[in-house]
Amino acid sequence: MVKDFVRREVLTQDEAVSSSFLMRSEDAGVETPGTLEDSERETVTTSSGAHPEPGSCSSGDLEPEWLDDVQKNGELFYLELSEDEEDALIQANALPVSYTNHVRFSDKEAEIITDHKSKKPCIHDHKLKKLANVLKKKGLVHGHSCKKVNEQRDNQPPGPVSILKHHPNSKTRVPVQLSYKDVLVYINPNKVNNESLTEGVKLLEACVGIIHQPASKIPADKKHFNTFTDAKTTAGEKLIVQSLVHGSAAMKCGQVFIGDVLIAVNDVEVTTENIERVLSCTPGPIQQEILYHYPMADASKKLKNIRGIFLTLCDMLENITGEQVISTSLLMNGKLVNVGYWKEGYNLLLIGLPAERVALPQLKNMIKNLVRTLQYMYNSLDSAFCKLENVPRLNHFFNLYFQRTIQPAKLNCSSSSQFDSSSTALFLDGLPGVRWLTLPQDIKMDIDTTLSDLESADFGELSEDFYDMQRLYMILGSCLFFKGYLIGNHLPKDDLLDIALYCQHYCLLPLAAEKRIGQLVIWREVFPYQYISSEEPIIEGYQEPKGKYFLLIVGLRHFMLCVVLEAGGCACKAIGNPGPDSIYVDQVKTILLKLEGLEAGIQERLTNPSTPYLSCADRFIPPRDMFESLSSSPIISKLQTTSKSTQSPTSRRTLFGDSNLRMRKSNPPRSNSTSDYADERFGDSGSFNVDFDSYSTSNKIKKHLRSEIPGSGGSENKKKQRFPNPFYLGSMKKSLPEAESEEIYNIKKLTSGSENTLFHYISLETLQGIFITPTHTEVAHLNGSIHSQLIKNFHRCCLSIRSVFQQTLDKRAKCSDIIHNSAQTLRKSSSGLGPVKEHGILFQCSPENWTDRKKPPPSMSYWVVGRLFVDLHPQEFYVCFHDSVTEVAVELAFRLSFGLIT
Amino acid sequence: MAGGLQLLCLSTSSGVPLYCRSKGESRQLSFSVIGSLNGVHMFGSNQDVLLTSTSTDNCRVCWRVFHDSITLIVMSSEEDASDLYFGRLLENVFNAMVLVIGLDDLVNLKNVERLKRELRACYKLIDSLLAASDWIGDLTMCVDCVASPDAAVLQEALDVFVAAAESNFGCLMVMGKTVVATEKWWRLTTQELVLLALLVGSLAPNSSRDYPIYLPHGSPTVPHRLLTFQLVPGVDVCLLCGPTPSLQQVQTELVERFWSPVLECLKTCLRVHQRSFLASINLHHSIVGLLLINREQNKNIFTLQPHADESSQQQGAVLLPERRRSVLRQFYTLAVSAYFPADTSEDQPALHEEFHTGFTHQPKECYITAADHKCYGLQTQQHQLFLTFTADTPTFALRSIATNTLGLLTKELPF
Repeated sequence: MVKDFVRREVLTQDEAVSSSFLMRSEDAGVETPGTLEDSERETVTTSSGAHPEPGSCSSGDLEPEWLDDVQKNGELFYLELSEDEEDALIQANALPVSYTNHVRFSDKEAEIITDHKSKKPCIHDHKLKKLANVLKKKGLVHGHSCKKVNEQRDNQPPGPVSILKHHPNSKTRVPVQLSYKDVLVYINPNKVNNESLTEGVKLLEACVGIIHQPASKIPADKKHFNTFTDAKTTAGEKLIVQSLVHGSAAMKCGQVFIGDVLIAVNDVEVTTENIERVLSCTPGPIQQEILYHYPMADASKKLKNIRGIFLTLCDMLENITGEQVISTSLLMNGKLVNVGYWKEGYNLLLIGLPAERVALPQLKNMIKNLVRTLQYMYNSLDSAFCKLENVPRLNHFFNLYFQRTIQPAKLNCSSSSQFDSSSTALFLDGLPGVRWLTLPQDIKMDIDTTLSDLESADFGELSEDFYDMQRLYMILGSCLFFKGYLIGNHLPKDDLLDIALYCQHYCLLPLAAEKRIGQLVIWREVFPYQYISSEEPIIEGYQEPKGKYFLLIVGLRHFMLCVVLEAGGCACKAIGNPGPDSIYVDQVKTILLKLEGLEAGIQERLTNPSTPYLSCADRFIPPRDMFESLSSSPIISKLQTTSKSTQSPTSRRTLFGDSNLRMRKSNPPRSNSTSDYADERFGDSGSFNVDFDSYSTSNKIKKHLRSEIPGSGGSENKKKQRFPNPFYLGSMKKSLPEAESEEIYNIKKLTSGSENTLFHYISLETLQGIFITPTHTEVAHLNGSIHSQLIKNFHRCCLSIRSVFQQTLDKRAKCSDIIHNSAQTLRKSSSGLGPVKEHGILFQCSPENWTDRKKPPPSMSYWVVGRLFVDLHPQEFYVCFHDSVTEVAVELAFRLSFGLIT
Repeated sequence: MAGGLQLLCLSTSSGVPLYCRSKGESRQLSFSVIGSLNGVHMFGSNQDVLLTSTSTDNCRVCWRVFHDSITLIVMSSEEDASDLYFGRLLENVFNAMVLVIGLDDLVNLKNVERLKRELRACYKLIDSLLAASDWIGDLTMCVDCVASPDAAVLQEALDVFVAAAESNFGCLMVMGKTVVATEKWWRLTTQELVLLALLVGSLAPNSSRDYPIYLPHGSPTVPHRLLTFQLVPGVDVCLLCGPTPSLQQVQTELVERFWSPVLECLKTCLRVHQRSFLASINLHHSIVGLLLINREQNKNIFTLQPHADESSQQQGAVLLPERRRSVLRQFYTLAVSAYFPADTSEDQPALHEEFHTGFTHQPKECYITAADHKCYGLQTQQHQLFLTFTADTPTFALRSIATNTLGLLTKELPF
């Protein structure tokens, strides 16, 4: 098979070592791939301008605006940003961006290729645009400023449109349409008979069926093709299709036309000079053992070349150990690369990622999730990779995938780039749960009733009586997201996780968190995990209807409602690939509009701190200039255990009032306080407590909690500011009626002792498939340089704790498999570290850029502790707290889950 | 293959297997499997890709090539099959080969059959590396020591004995653990010290030996003589020297003269060696395993019987010694590979992930609690301490016990 690659554009693939490919481990049963059909690809459309009032959508007379974007296979991915977001985007585009320096789009296609290759598109561009760019690069997005192009595209594969798209001035050039196309032509060099070759017939003609005469022989044409000739390529001439051999491969495929220019064969650029050489090197059908390969970067090609290693190891180790290979590590260009395996039937999926990005334990999880996402979308790896029409979709899929794992910041895919480092994203994305936002009971109830209304589907147009016919779909359940947080779920855990993985992959959750969505409609057939994974009936004697399942996601502003529909069963059977039904879309939209009434309440919950209260880590480290410039800082501190304790600045006392400047001498109970070796060595680690004043004691607590301090921006001046910690109550409690404040404080504080020492937490409930962790707003409130490092460190550490836990869980799963073999079970459970329940690490940190050489930098110690509750449904709990109080992790977890989740 | 380990040694250029050692209940690998294991690595290096390791759920394979001439492959389905352990194991195995037959023969493979015969001399040493019984130095890359109460007396005796034998390198060992050594001896690389101790511990008991060795770092091509003399059963004094003096000469003239006055001290060493330190130091009763590392001197004290005899009976019921060893080794591996970076000055690129490089703050202490035990580890500028506890020890007490233990040991022991 030769892929006659008339190049469209070169993806700016990073040199990062990442690659995925899928291959047959056996040659048997390879289906002959069909010709690439263009225009059948997942289409993402962003459009702007006159988007209709969402409310008007429900009137059935108007054609929904997404209708034109429904593809042949029924799938729809329609995204429309709200007007102000669009404006922001357009403005960002209109800035005097020097694209012209980057991509000089001209009618010289070669130039685009060479130029574009080396440049990354608009790094400084608007955040969302980057996401859009990725989609565009794959030719999946039509731009809002290029309507003309869109129309032309109907009968043309997406071409250099994407390059034009970055170009604000390009509109005038739109008509210069260069159509680059990928054409797949099947050739078998082994079949070319030798006789014709000896007669001087060229391979291009014999194999492919393209006839090209050297330009010198037809000088008349040469002039004409000058426009296509790049000044740089002097070595050879362009290969122009002058005619086709009758019945040849090129003619059969029906996509090669006379006048086309052959630019590349199997990614190798060709000219008259090298075409014969390139073709003679074309391997025969043996190449087909690779079903899919992405990307075409150097590192990835190298991995492709050594695929024999993976196939051999896979076979051999399975024979010896009876187990599947999970991973292989190798050193390539001085970089360690981890390659993960997934075997499904005869197919083997390999993902290669740089080890510095993804460690081995995470790689295993990532592959599992990746395969699950692919299975959700395509039913199986086989149907995903073995259908040729899926190739562009998969290219898009893996482009997103690698961007997400290797450069999450660039894609802006982590939920909030400001706070989420890559380890944060890596950890949270790997959890088998969805981020849950706890809501007040009344709001939660409203949400649940509204969702139930939708799911009952017994009113309005959804009821069977309305049209007096069997309904098209059963609503199996739904889940609701607000700004990326799950706030309502009526789906089984596995369905929820499927949806979460899909949304995670397409970065939908951060999108809804940061941008106001004008309208988002996604429709596709899906293959839920619980149906494809379980062969036995879920309930004895009950058989799931053999229906089709569809996922409908509708987004409005910050809300996103995901609905799982079933066709067949008690609803109509779905025939072919039905597109989204506007009645269902409108009903979901109506529900969303109804839910918008709750937005204020939910938003209030998001902006206000919730239980348990958090502390800012920076608060536990005295600022650098504390000793010198106490008078300029309203921070009063006290060194407890050392003699270095500062003098209380009595002058300030009068200014702020006595109640504000309380010198507290709390002596937290420490297990090692007497002969603490660590303390002797590292000074006063962990025994440093800083107390702060609050501004006004007359205000009510609630008001105080809500007050946000503006200008907590740069970390440099922050040191001199009072520390914005709206959650901190320490100094105020005394001034309030004793009983009242104590009560409130104690309910909302998770840690023991008088100080609130809790920095961060994550609690995962695998029964419901959710996890809770402080919201982005809460973390943003505690903005401090040490604290943000601490958050990063916390997540990094959680990765390592969780990988220890996973060994326990894996072993447990294995043990239950072989429960009948009790001897082996015993052996397993007593080997290794055994079932680990709890794992904690103590960290020490000091302020950065400590300049004072005489004094050692002040330091602060904190624990990151993970606790695993191995039950029928395991729970995991991760917490980060200051070292001053000995905490019992079990107790913290208990308090948290009973205070919050129920 | 459950719970087994296979070590393969091949000639890199020809792929001829040189030897194969195994441990546990694993079956001998077939020739074709050995060929494939070597083949994939060779294929990779031809393509400029260095294959380092691969793993299934329970099994792990690791490849290393030394001096472009010797390929070592280890395949293990044991629980402690970590990158850290494999890295150190393969390094140790190769250096053990150098120690016994010298680098020249390993780099210039002229006669494979002869080399195979020569390599048989390493089997004992390699097997003791694989067995990892009473020592932990093979994993920690530190010298296993015994803190003798009479260290000063023994040190003096050793110094004069070594001087009389016209050497600078001398060491007193009890069951492969170092009691005292001369200053020059300590200047050998840690790897050499660990291997020498293992070699002495792994050789069959003999009253005296004259053993040619190559120092893998100090003198990989020129052999030295290692003289050992059994002072009391289990206690050997070792000398590293050139052509003189003769074994006979030292044995008859020096051993008796210098060591008989300190016979009682030697016997004390023998009593102390299981615990590695004196019975008078009372540790907390919940501790069932202890590893104290001096990071500056690359020495460690390791014991699985930290208590005086009477209580150890009871402790044995709680956690079998075999299990204690495995737990402590694995906890050390976890802590060092994830949190406490070992001071590696290696220039070569990392062959396995270095997880701790991703932390923004410095890990100082860590613990785990599992079903049948708890562990605590802490690191200071100079020391690392790893403790295993019984499962019923309260988690909140671990830290204070650990810090107190570290304080006590560093105060009481010259460590």
